[in-house]
Amino acid sequence: MEERRDALRQHAAAAALIGALGAGLLASSPGAAACELPPGKRLASGNVALTYRIVPAKVAVGEHFEVHFAACLGASAVVSGQIRADAHMPEHRHGMNYRPSIAASGAAGAFRSQGWLFHMAGRWEFVFEIGGERLTDSVRVE
Amino acid sequence: MRGLALAFVLGFLSCTGFAQNSPLSSEEIKAILRHGPWPALWSPDPSNRVSGKVLCATCHAPFRAWQDARPRAVGLAEVERNTMNVLNVRYMRWFGWDGAGDSLWAQSIRPILDAREMGGRVAQTAALVRCDAGVVAALGKALAAFQETLVTGRTPFDDFRDALARGDAQAQKDYPEPALRGLRIFVGKGNCSLCHAGPAFSNSEFHDTGVPFFVAGGGVDPGRHAGIKKLLANQFNLLGRHSDDRGGKSAVRTRHVALEHRNFGEFKTPGLRNVALTALYMHNGSLGALADVVRHYSELSADRLHSDGEVLLLRPLRLSAQESADLVAFLESLTEKKASRPRRGPRRPASNDGRLRACAAGGPAAAGRAARDPLRAGARFFARC
Repeated sequence: MEERRDALRQHAAAAALIGALGAGLLASSPGAAACELPPGKRLASGNVALTYRIVPAKVAVGEHFEVHFAACLGASAVVSGQIRADAHMPEHRHGMNYRPSIAASGAAGAFRSQGWLFHMAGRWEFVFEIGGERLTDSVRVE
Repeated sequence: MRGLALAFVLGFLSCTGFAQNSPLSSEEIKAILRHGPWPALWSPDPSNRVSGKVLCATCHAPFRAWQDARPRAVGLAEVERNTMNVLNVRYMRWFGWDGAGDSLWAQSIRPILDAREMGGRVAQTAALVRCDAGVVAALGKALAAFQETLVTGRTPFDDFRDALARGDAQAQKDYPEPALRGLRIFVGKGNCSLCHAGPAFSNSEFHDTGVPFFVAGGGVDPGRHAGIKKLLANQFNLLGRHSDDRGGKSAVRTRHVALEHRNFGEFKTPGLRNVALTALYMHNGSLGALADVVRHYSELSADRLHSDGEVLLLRPLRLSAQESADLVAFLESLTEKKASRPRRGPRRPASNDGRLRACAAGGPAAAGRAARDPLRAGARFFARC
């Protein structure tokens, strides 16, 4: 019994050491520090993570809005050529009548996308394609 | 007719002894009556127009709910499309059945310069208003300023909707039951409100609703597909040098509009306010009554739709006779009760151009008047051009 307790103590100590080392490595990684995502709705797929917010916050049918987002590809900030952003109504099988533009905005990996307009009430799905990954999120517009 | 009415009023006043007792003389009454009725109709001036034959009001007749009650518009020649009325146009994002206009002022210029409608040219129109070619845009803006005031009044539906919003059950009972049943179809199984959305009952976008787009002579009307091409080629679009807001919010739609193959045969969703007064219906004026429109959607052939999305949204409603009548009753409830002439909306600043101050119809004296009252200048242009 005593031997088993010693073994468990050694295992816990080893795990703590590994955890501390791992945390130190992450904290010192320049890539991680360079690609922090701002507050917003978070989406992730594979090695891509993204946060986005809609401006204005509430989407109204027939009103243009913007999507502000930032994305990380692994530990690196995403560059504009790697991104496609669009939206569609899955149940209706149609998209928007507009093609949003995407422009870099401020910090590395941050973008401002203009030209969005949902012309019908119902469920719309945002689609971000970044580095071969497809990130989606649904919103219901009344 | 007006003189006859005046004689009748004066005769009546005289017979009843009013004229003798009134502090107003018959000459004074005549003079006062000349200050009305209001809102006033205006008389198109046939001596001052672009082609010499066609006015704005030829197709957008005030006494016909600002349209012409023809299947297809007839200017200098007949065109392929029905005349859209200009009621509530200030709430729209795109203009015309194909949305080739991205602003009301650009859309107002279009028929003036169309060879089959009013037959003007930029230089000729500029000469008419005695200024440089750039003032054609200002002319459009003055016309837009006037049209932005054409707002329909409240309807039985609005009374019901507001009673509903404030929870006034008693007031809701004033709404006719057939209209209420039709309203439930409109927002329910009919899916009508998906496109006829919002307070103006239009999402200001474009759809293929199964109305044939073949035109006389074996051609086709490409609808929105050609509309986007015309829009992007138009020197008067919101990205052009005549726009007051090229980099701003209003140009976002023009900068981002997408030309897709599915746009072929799509036409704009018209607003439905005062719809009972705006027959004939659909982009080609092929349906004569609201009951015909309801029948169209009830018996729709999916084979005539070419877009996947529209096929999913538009299915034949298979309405019973009662349901069809109810839907018509609802549509009629979108028409204001006293709508022989639409009310003017409140005045508000229009998308006017500073050049209007320097360049307006009739030279410097008229320019001064237009600067003081661009709205009135727009009304004059509308009646005269």
